[in-house]
Amino acid sequence: MAIYSFWIFDRHLGNCIFDREWTLKSNQSSGTTNSKLNEDTAKLLYGMVFSLRSISQKLSGEGSHNEIRTISTGKYRAHILCTASGLWFVLLSDLKQEDLSHVLRYLYSEIYVKTVVHNWFSPVDFAESDSEKRGQGFRKIRNRNFLASVERFLGPMVN
Amino acid sequence: MSANSASISASSAGPKKSLKTFGDDIWKNKTAKINAELFTLTYGSIVSQLCTDFERDFKKVNSQLYAMGYNIGVRLIEDFLARTALPRCDSLAQTSEVISKCAFKIFLNVTPQVGNWSNNKDAFSLFLDENPLSDFVELPMDAAKELWYSNILCGVLRGALEMVQMDCDVWFVNDVLRGGQSTEMRVKLNRIMKDEIPAGED
Repeated sequence: MAIYSFWIFDRHLGNCIFDREWTLKSNQSSGTTNSKLNEDTAKLLYGMVFSLRSISQKLSGEGSHNEIRTISTGKYRAHILCTASGLWFVLLSDLKQEDLSHVLRYLYSEIYVKTVVHNWFSPVDFAESDSEKRGQGFRKIRNRNFLASVERFLGPMVN
Repeated sequence: MSANSASISASSAGPKKSLKTFGDDIWKNKTAKINAELFTLTYGSIVSQLCTDFERDFKKVNSQLYAMGYNIGVRLIEDFLARTALPRCDSLAQTSEVISKCAFKIFLNVTPQVGNWSNNKDAFSLFLDENPLSDFVELPMDAAKELWYSNILCGVLRGALEMVQMDCDVWFVNDVLRGGQSTEMRVKLNRIMKDEIPAGED
């Protein structure tokens, strides 16, 4: 089992509010968290999911929900959870992982909701003004509890 | 209405069930229970403190309760979606069912009746036969004219619906505490907000 990176996009589509990338399989604490260097990658990843998501919704016909779940390429697989409130959770893994939706659901309901949403001292909307919406935002989740829980939960899956 | 019993596929894997059994299930199995009286008393102390702070200006108390509710709603929706994994609703009729049979059931263990639909189906009422917020409460004379005791609920609904891109007005039209026949909350949909798209796409 190997995962490569984990991303969260908020409802102001295109704003990446959290990213975590592991660079060494052998080391769970390697890589970057909320890195400036990942901004462009985040935009590309966002664009890929955005386009394929619109396609999948258009192809499903009227009135039925068709959320995108995974996208596979030759080298990796992206697992996606889109919530009705507009949050996207994206996890990149190797091709051996068929379906990690339970992992994404856990990240959402047990980690994001409990350490960010239930914490009144943390914002839930990471764009503070209109100019920070539509992919122009730069604010990230910095809650210590959140960061620690993500490491604890995803760390063992890195290699 | 037959469309009301239309079932939404509850979770990605689960079989199709009616919203009612779905809501009951989550309430029974996935929700930690607390003492209702503690909750009622906590809310009572908040309202009475606000009345004192605003020197019995009940209009201000109403709007403060609404604002507090809004802030709760924008957070509570995430909790709700995490528990239920419901997708966006296709129609307001479905929204009303989800609110009464799932949301109120899970968070307050009551199931308000939905009714009083407007002609063009953009507004409906929720009739709260039981209201856990207002158990034991008797409003004093001066408050009975202007105070909407449970106004926090309106704010919660508004905040939560806004997060799923529905811009709604929510207000009380009647309250048994004010001598009305029933406790009636009105929800009116103004518009469905468009999802934002990234810069350079429009």
